[in-house]
Amino acid sequence: MDKIELKNLLFLARISAKENEYPEIIKKLENTFELIDEMQDLDLSDLEPLNNPLELSNVTRIDKDKNRNDKKKFLDNSPESDEDYFNVPKIIE
Amino acid sequence: MNFKQQRDNFRAKKISAVEAVEESLRKIKDDQLNIFINHFEQEALSNARHIDNNFDDFIAKPLSGVPIAHKDIFCTEGLPTTCGSKMLENFIPPYDSTVVKNCLDAGSIMVAKTNMDEFAMGSSNETSYFGAVSNPWNHDLVPGGSSGGAAACVSANLTTISTGTDTGGSIRQPAALCGITGLKPTYGLVSRWGMIAFCSSMDQAGPFSRDAFGCAALLDAMASYDEKDSTSTKRQDTNFEESLSKNFGSLKVGVIKNIQELDISEDVINAYETSKTVLSGLGHKLVEVDFSELSSGICSYYVIAPAECSSNLSRFDGVKYGYRSKGEKDIANLYMNTRSDGFGDEVKKRILIGTHVLSAGFYDAYYLQAQKVRRMIKLKFENFFKDVDLIFMPTTLDQAFEKNRKSDDPNRMYKEDLLTIPANLAGLPAISFPNGFKNNLPIAGQLIGKYFAEDLLLNTTNKIQEVTDWHKMTP
Amino acid sequence: MAQNDTLIKGWQPVIGLEVHVQLMTNTKLFSPAKNQFGEDANTLVDLIDLGLPGVLPVLNEGAMKQGIKFGLATNAKIAETMIFDRKNYFYPDLPKGYQITQLHYPIVRDGVVEVNGKKIRIHQAHLEEDAGKSMHDKYDDKSVIDLNRSGVPLLEIVSEPDIRSASEAVNYLKKIHQIITYLDISDGNMSQGSMRCDANVSIMKPEDKEFGTRAEIKNINSFKFVEKAINFEIKRQIKILEANGTVEQETRLYDSIKDETRSMRTKEFANDYRYFPCPDLVPTNITEELIESVKENMDELPEEKQDRFMNSYNLNEYDAGVICADKETANFFEKVVENADVQLAAKWIIGDLNALLNKHDMDLQESKIDAENFSELIQKITDNTISGKIAKEVLEEMWNTGAKVSEVIDSKGMQQISDAGELENIIEIILNENTDQVNAYKSGKDKLFGFFVGQVMKATQGKANPGLVNELLKKKLS
Repeated sequence: MDKIELKNLLFLARISAKENEYPEIIKKLENTFELIDEMQDLDLSDLEPLNNPLELSNVTRIDKDKNRNDKKKFLDNSPESDEDYFNVPKIIE
Repeated sequence: MNFKQQRDNFRAKKISAVEAVEESLRKIKDDQLNIFINHFEQEALSNARHIDNNFDDFIAKPLSGVPIAHKDIFCTEGLPTTCGSKMLENFIPPYDSTVVKNCLDAGSIMVAKTNMDEFAMGSSNETSYFGAVSNPWNHDLVPGGSSGGAAACVSANLTTISTGTDTGGSIRQPAALCGITGLKPTYGLVSRWGMIAFCSSMDQAGPFSRDAFGCAALLDAMASYDEKDSTSTKRQDTNFEESLSKNFGSLKVGVIKNIQELDISEDVINAYETSKTVLSGLGHKLVEVDFSELSSGICSYYVIAPAECSSNLSRFDGVKYGYRSKGEKDIANLYMNTRSDGFGDEVKKRILIGTHVLSAGFYDAYYLQAQKVRRMIKLKFENFFKDVDLIFMPTTLDQAFEKNRKSDDPNRMYKEDLLTIPANLAGLPAISFPNGFKNNLPIAGQLIGKYFAEDLLLNTTNKIQEVTDWHKMTP
Repeated sequence: MAQNDTLIKGWQPVIGLEVHVQLMTNTKLFSPAKNQFGEDANTLVDLIDLGLPGVLPVLNEGAMKQGIKFGLATNAKIAETMIFDRKNYFYPDLPKGYQITQLHYPIVRDGVVEVNGKKIRIHQAHLEEDAGKSMHDKYDDKSVIDLNRSGVPLLEIVSEPDIRSASEAVNYLKKIHQIITYLDISDGNMSQGSMRCDANVSIMKPEDKEFGTRAEIKNINSFKFVEKAINFEIKRQIKILEANGTVEQETRLYDSIKDETRSMRTKEFANDYRYFPCPDLVPTNITEELIESVKENMDELPEEKQDRFMNSYNLNEYDAGVICADKETANFFEKVVENADVQLAAKWIIGDLNALLNKHDMDLQESKIDAENFSELIQKITDNTISGKIAKEVLEEMWNTGAKVSEVIDSKGMQQISDAGELENIIEIILNENTDQVNAYKSGKDKLFGFFVGQVMKATQGKANPGLVNELLKKKLS
């Protein structure tokens, strides 16, 4: 993994790190990649991936509303808000 | 004192709920092992009073009058839920998790929330923002993780029951290192509603207690079908406590062929061999099982778990709740600084790994491949279970280790999940129970069962605990 | 691939549309919060929509049925198994930091709609959750977030790049609009955002084998702007290519005030959405039984209704087409003809009523005209209570005040005079007063017949029954 790849990864994850920390981070990540790369030798081409271990299907809910209004609770519990909205620094599009 | 005694005392009116809670809180306030993140004196006493005042309503409930500690990963309405992280240090959920609600309805009284590895990522309870937890048997050693606090709590007799979660071994491994019994149920048996997600397709909540009985009663309380959780499964009306006295007869138990080839310590192997004798003595038939191909489970786990966690933790952005980095002037910095400050190193590392393995160009080689390994492991177990009813193996490779352990192998801690991970990947139930003692430290064995065989696991463990004393040892 | 009548300066525009449609369901896609427009900010937010730690999604079966309806209406393949994926990216109005959508296993695939005789293929339609809203005008240094819309069910309809002009794009959009409103899948309101459209536009030379680089145009919120935005973009791309430049693959925003498209601020790194199946949800197998039950409970499609109207009501194709163009009008018609003459009703709806609606730029719903009242109007014409001419005045009054037909007729004394005796007397008087014209008529000036009719009408303030007047006059003058 090179610095540019790490920079991209950090951005995708919205995590920051100083340039001088990059080598250490890359080393840590590469150690883990070494571990997980061991499964590359396995030929599993005839197997379907398994997402849900019990392979459940068809779970749905009836289209009926619960009529809850927790506006005040949610806004009060937030890091920054006014009477009606969550507040964040200005977003420039 | 174990859970059954404590509950019997309440039911026989020998000790009130309030007295039990006061006793527990006394010990909690004296705790030197950093087991707890928060405790709730007022609420617990008020709750206990309510139970005492409505004795008749609660006498028959599975957890009647018994204090309980919940891993701080379960949302508790109106009370802090930190998940061991700075990100949620002051987070007060506006709702209860199903597990907490179920335990409350079952008559237990929550006295505290236990310390844990941050966002359930770790095997030693050293990554918590609130500091490491000490093993009750030896304070220089780790209790295991991520449910280290919950295991230590029961081990040190601060409560007789506690709840934990197990994604790669986080109930079974701390149970093993602390000398208590811990069970990871079949995936879907216990609702994940309100349980802060780490790896959604493997996370399962489960019980800790000294013995199978306590675990059975707690599981009876915890497990329920929940329509708010799409991955929840129906319970099939099993009463685990009642199942303890059933007679399942002689079972075929798979044991590990060539255990010497795995990196397991002498002491653990010896305890394992002793247990095999106990199992035979109980009338079970031992059948050798080849475990070698299950070792690729570690690779699969350390792709899938980081992948899902990288996505699950994206919601922590400082916008709606939790920690927010102060004084940020633009949104980009808000995200970056909130997440960089709010998360610890292990969490950040796993998020980066997860982000990488899901990236374009790497998805097939990593994520897809890992899911195929998972399929392979599930099929292997299906095969095993054609010939055996249960599989018996050690829980950990070694006993409790020192805090801040240095190792030449940077992946050592990950590799130590070798024996617990396969059950998580396949979603199978598994129980860890004490089966030995050496170097003044406990050793444990693990039974893995077919889907929804918790009754068989608990029953078999119970039978073992009727003829052994390991589970009775206290630090 | 080229359609000669759509070439512009020798270039072939190629257009694909992505239409996001908010589904009309009671609740959101994965949470039981109410799915409603226009409420106070942050009052329609469930724990799940806020993305709190520990919350989990559960699929709304109503939303799934809406998707199946759309698939049936467009002759599409309905998925045997549909799977939801997570699309991961950060934005303040996306609470979980990912959107639950469908990438590889959408609910609907390979549909087709017919637009003016041309088939336009639908690549797929998939279910996904809407994001909340972020707004930037309230404060100088802050933006605000409203999560009411977070989690609202969307059906994203992606066409193949089969469209060849801006006007064809508008017609396609109108067709989609007709389908979704007909089937009560959505109210298709572009100005309120329940139907949103992005256009993928590229141009190529007719002889080229491959499509050109396409630009995605966003922020188009009316049918009119769809046409303008696409036309601008086509011209912009032609200009670039004619100057030997290259069109960039990018996202552009349409500015309706300046009538131009503008490049969005390019991000430093491309966004990798890292799709993977959502582990909190399980696959859904859509059975034949489910599809059948949706079909049975589904309202008629426009074409079906048109056919039925032609058959049951004996309407001609044109009339049936106009009446069935929107569901409201069709329903209105059916109610009206429960008690009134079909052909007359059709004539009046297509003619006078439509004229009023267009003049005042209103929908039928918004007007004061209701079906029962209108039906009575037609009945009163049929039974000769009023003449057609008077009926126009009555309709005008109904439009303005919503008054009942019988009230209007009575209060203004508009009843038609159909009494033969009464009319004969009036005719007598008219003919006696106009003997010169009578003689002129009798000696061959046939055109004067109209004069006599007009005089009778004048004398009766237009209330004389025209047919009867004709009949009696003819008799008297023969």
